[in-house]
Amino acid sequence: MKIPELKSQYVWATIMILCYILPGFVPLGTPFPMSTTTMKIYNMIQALPDDSIVVIGGSGVFAFDLESSAGTIPAIKIMAQKHIKIVNLPLATEAVQLEKYLIDASRIEKKYGGTYEYGVDWIQLPYLAGAPGALVSFLNDIKRTCPTDVYGTPLDQMPLGQRLKDYKDIVLWICPHWDFVTIIQYVTGERKIPSVSFAQSAAYSTYSPYMMTYPDKVFMTNGFLGGAQMEYLVGMKGLGHAVIDGNQVFSAVFLIFVVLGNVTWLANKEKKEDKK
Amino acid sequence: MISADPWVWVSAFLTICSFTLLYGDNKLFRLAEYTFTSVVIGHAVVVGLQTLNTRFYPLFTGQQPLLIISLVLGVMTLFIAWRKYAWIASIPFAVIVGIGAGLSMRAAITTDIFGSIRATISETGKIFIGTPTDQVGYLIRVVFTLGAMVYFLFTIFVKGKGSGAVSYLRTFGKYVLLIYLGLTLGNSAMQYSGLATSAINRLIRTWLGFG
Repeated sequence: MKIPELKSQYVWATIMILCYILPGFVPLGTPFPMSTTTMKIYNMIQALPDDSIVVIGGSGVFAFDLESSAGTIPAIKIMAQKHIKIVNLPLATEAVQLEKYLIDASRIEKKYGGTYEYGVDWIQLPYLAGAPGALVSFLNDIKRTCPTDVYGTPLDQMPLGQRLKDYKDIVLWICPHWDFVTIIQYVTGERKIPSVSFAQSAAYSTYSPYMMTYPDKVFMTNGFLGGAQMEYLVGMKGLGHAVIDGNQVFSAVFLIFVVLGNVTWLANKEKKEDKK
Repeated sequence: MISADPWVWVSAFLTICSFTLLYGDNKLFRLAEYTFTSVVIGHAVVVGLQTLNTRFYPLFTGQQPLLIISLVLGVMTLFIAWRKYAWIASIPFAVIVGIGAGLSMRAAITTDIFGSIRATISETGKIFIGTPTDQVGYLIRVVFTLGAMVYFLFTIFVKGKGSGAVSYLRTFGKYVLLIYLGLTLGNSAMQYSGLATSAINRLIRTWLGFG
């Protein structure tokens, strides 16, 4: 029997249909392991004092930071249950979009049926250019560094803005962006504020050793899997669950391709030996 | 139900255009690529201009007159586009690099050098306590850290006595680095695969209204 040669387009089409399109129509609910770090993050957020202030900030590119949103959205939902105040600090131009998107997607605001009100429960600060200098300046004197919010309203005119003085007012820093190192160095390393990163998969292997450097101060989850774990703990099914379905099927298809490749190779080898 | 929002349709069209690259380079992909690039640049410019307004608010109200220094330094950077006076831009750039280097040096020494050394020593102590699984985990971490370090320390090829042992250590360090690179590559593949899934999910759920 002649084994047909596969065009790369056919391979891609098969992968697209099986791994990405099918789980979109029919959620498979494939199982995934739970990590102790994700559990620790969940418990830490639950243990934060009610009404305390958490900063969500950092720098990165929206398209890739979307992976971090899978874990950050459930985290925001937990914080909303505890009435924890949220201050968004973008250190990159595209971070402004992502942080606003995170609040919208979490559906915690009154316009979505939640309890959060802008200026009282959360604030979106403007893009802060010049990190790490600007970040250090922000931590030392928030209002001098960011006198207004992203819309140009002075912080002193908002109830939450009035509470912001310096890093001592911040109980936790969540980084939903690529550049977690800057946050670790200046926020956790120098000022001992715990930090959490719902890291992108590619960043996880590079930055995860910092969890050894600052045990119980620096926490990281791994990509969409971390997102799915947070969603599971909160009791929701979002982007994390959807992607895990695709990834699990992708792994199965990958194995099938490995088996098919080996079978083809063995068949061709036998043919060549017969010819000889 | 299929979405009636025109922006969702724009998003869906550009997503499909991006995926056409899988069949080969074509004009639809180029359209999506150029649209994305121009939107990102346009957004960055607008956000940058808004920043001027919000950051210099206390200067205009007279609360922080010293901000005039930052504003002047910022204007000086624009001279980079004017070859004859480009040297003026070197002054604010020198200030930025100087402050950045000073801050980074301090933080890097604390976190990356002393922090990593402290963590490795601490993990070495933990090899002898805890459950067997934890002990193996700590052992691997410490041995791999030392292995990678040895690879960089002994990049000079030693000859004579002891060269065999050093060579084995160096080779081990090389494999440790390869494992790290493999992990990073694998994680990157997972990330791209996940982002593709999220884009298709958006098409199926937000645009077509399934799921």
